[in-house]
Amino acid sequence: MRLRAVILLLALLAVPASAAPPLAHREVLPNGAVLLVAERPAIPIVVVQISVPGGSVRDPDDALGLANLTADSITRGTTVRSGPELDRVIEFVGGSLEAGAGRDSATLFLSVLKKDLPLGLDLLTEVLLHPTFPAEEVTRKIAEIQAGLRRSEQNPGTVAGRALGPMIFPDHPYGRPSAGTIESVGKLTREQVVDFYRTHYRPDGAIIVAVGDITIPEIRSALMQRLSGWPRPAGTLPPIPKSSAPVTAETRAITRDLSQTTVLLGRPSIRQDDPDYFALSVATYVLGGGSASRLYTRVREERGLAYSVYAAVQPARYGSSCVVSLQTRNDSVAQAVQLVRDEMARMGRELVTAAELDSAKSYLIGSFPLRLDTSGKVARFVAAVEENGLGLDYPDRYKDRIGRVTVADVQRVAARYLDPASFDAVMVGK
Amino acid sequence: MIRFFGLFGFVLSVGLAATALAQSAGTGSSPVKLQVTEATLDNGLRVLVQEDSRNPIVAVQILYRVGSRNELPGATGLAHFLEHLMFKGTPTRGRGEISRVIERSGGRENAFTTKDMTGYFTNIVADRLDLVLQIEADRMRNLLLDPAEIDSERKVVMEERRMRSDDDPDGAVYEAMSSLAFKASPYRWPIIGWMTDIERINATELRAFYDTYYRPNNAVVIVVGDVKATDVLARVRRYFGAIPRGATPPSVTAIEPTQIDERRLVLRRESAQLPVVNIAWHVPNHTSPDAPALELLSQLLSEGRASRLYRGLVYEKRMVLGAGGEYSYSSIDPSLFWFYATPLPGNTPEAVEQALLDEVERLKQEPVPAEELERARNQIEASFVWQQDSVFSRSSVLGRFEILGSWRLLEDYLPRLRAVTPADVQRVARTYFAVDRKNVSILLPVPAPAAAR
Repeated sequence: MRLRAVILLLALLAVPASAAPPLAHREVLPNGAVLLVAERPAIPIVVVQISVPGGSVRDPDDALGLANLTADSITRGTTVRSGPELDRVIEFVGGSLEAGAGRDSATLFLSVLKKDLPLGLDLLTEVLLHPTFPAEEVTRKIAEIQAGLRRSEQNPGTVAGRALGPMIFPDHPYGRPSAGTIESVGKLTREQVVDFYRTHYRPDGAIIVAVGDITIPEIRSALMQRLSGWPRPAGTLPPIPKSSAPVTAETRAITRDLSQTTVLLGRPSIRQDDPDYFALSVATYVLGGGSASRLYTRVREERGLAYSVYAAVQPARYGSSCVVSLQTRNDSVAQAVQLVRDEMARMGRELVTAAELDSAKSYLIGSFPLRLDTSGKVARFVAAVEENGLGLDYPDRYKDRIGRVTVADVQRVAARYLDPASFDAVMVGK
Repeated sequence: MIRFFGLFGFVLSVGLAATALAQSAGTGSSPVKLQVTEATLDNGLRVLVQEDSRNPIVAVQILYRVGSRNELPGATGLAHFLEHLMFKGTPTRGRGEISRVIERSGGRENAFTTKDMTGYFTNIVADRLDLVLQIEADRMRNLLLDPAEIDSERKVVMEERRMRSDDDPDGAVYEAMSSLAFKASPYRWPIIGWMTDIERINATELRAFYDTYYRPNNAVVIVVGDVKATDVLARVRRYFGAIPRGATPPSVTAIEPTQIDERRLVLRRESAQLPVVNIAWHVPNHTSPDAPALELLSQLLSEGRASRLYRGLVYEKRMVLGAGGEYSYSSIDPSLFWFYATPLPGNTPEAVEQALLDEVERLKQEPVPAEELERARNQIEASFVWQQDSVFSRSSVLGRFEILGSWRLLEDYLPRLRAVTPADVQRVARTYFAVDRKNVSILLPVPAPAAAR
């Protein structure tokens, strides 16, 4: 088996970069927005997503949750239609038009059958360019977001994640709650929403991705016609600093009346622009990446201590974190966490085996087609590549860089980035 | 281990069924073609293949016609427990080896258990199809079921139960409602089983369950992706053809008696933050002429912000965070039509229950406007087209209907929905949603002892 895996790996690496069709067509529109198009003609569906630099990293310190509220309210009425009218029109053709804010950006998502694309684009651009943020609708959203935040308190994983954020990113916007808090959201006003929209929903810095049963000229002309009036505000947005958080390694326990404790370990990590990122991806995968990983084998397969246990590097635009997660019954927390910490330390102390390295590399490279097998996945991937400045040749570069990782690389980056002594810890349970 | 190749031939029932299945939503143009190659091996194994060369990948699923409905009280959770043990090795592949081998080929595998079936799926580059078929054929009959591994995995399943049911108030109230509404049907116990059964189940029972249900005549292999159908059939025959047919598994004889009373329960959880209100009625499944109307009713109540319950309870009345009405068209035994809502702070569960009942009453009194029905139908038809974009979704929808009897039931699905009228929707609401025969379960948050002071 091992030999076969190596041969497969070599075969994949032997494919010259030029052999793969480009991931997407890319151009910069006259208004400064980047347009990316991937033609997938076989199924009569189209996905269009428009991202703007309106993520929660842009929340003012005294208005946490503003980016989230703005995105949630943008589909709630335009100069042409009320929110319920928008809902009725798009849903009548079986389509959907949604908006949401992440940490780095806010995104409008349109999904429609090909035959309804003109209608879908009308609604999408109407919402993007002419939202009215009716006061009553904003008030409604505030109550919904607050109730959602309260309800999410019953999810121990969410509670743990919310506690870990500020421990990993103490001096960076990534450490703040993306949707705000019940209190902070309660103080937000419609004026703040309108102002946030005017400042951040702008063509410079926007990324437009269209994937599906379309051609490049067709979608370009359809979009340019509808986006001609998109004003570009004066000035530029202030830069967001890259996080350079100190490693603190603190532990926090949150008591809940539960039979199981959720454990999250985390620390700041590195992004794709760091030369060590690819070796760390391999190291993290060997440690806790799948159902053949060391953590899965030791903690779940051998001891039966957890149903879910994993490790992952989570790079984003302005920073990165590495997280290890597990749930175990309350009386086995100490044992499970010790096992996890031992395995993390061993990654930096000993070389991984050649078989483990080959396996991880074969998976990371060989599973790539599965990451791009639907229009929705292609759209999200292309948008992420653009947003993080990775370049459209990233899939080829990724395969190349992963392919070159050695066991020595894995040990070196593990010693530096997976040292258990450098991880903060949150435990939710009792 | 496969001992002989090629001894058992195919009964190649049909070649291609090119079916113009879905009219695109609304205007009825551009049909979506579904081509399925199907076969039944001499040993009873069903095989379905769809070619899709858009990406160099393949989705492989093997479904066994066994789920929690095939269990008995005192040994609940057997089907799901066994699903976990299917990754614990055969004589030729030790514990964890299946996952390692698939991973080394860049594949992703997992499994699921429902009330009606157990499924194992792998998504992988298309040229690794042989490997997947080899593994599935091997573990269909050669599972080790080592007692030490069973005891270790037992603890994992218990952790899974703690996570999904005991510590999750939504999971807990779902379990409680099922046990409230069903008395005779095996749908009354949770798929994962009761904790005491998981603790007790032994190797002998697991072996007997495996030997009864993991047989080629009780399974369906579905392959969708960058493959040639004739080639797939030859490969399936090569790996599975020599596995002997087993005895026909016993059928489930339990029939749920007609509910003639109202049943209620309240669950109090410190871990809950907001209440949840559930109201459920017994309804028939796809075999009933009323099923298409119930399916559309569920859609028009629940799907999207223009849906009736969102529009009425979330938007206009501002009473709830979310609400819906779920129906399982494709369950093997008749199941429930299940309304749910999460009251916003300041709204009592009693008021929300009444608001849901008012919506039900309105369905009985007024025919739904044609536009609402058309929207629901268009949404279902569009989602059908979207499913075609993913080889995994394609394999899942074929499997779901094949388990009911034949994937061809899928051909009837959209035409049946098209025939539904507003009068049909009103009729099924009147027929099945009797106020004095409902099941109601309420989840109430209770303050932690410290906070109560």
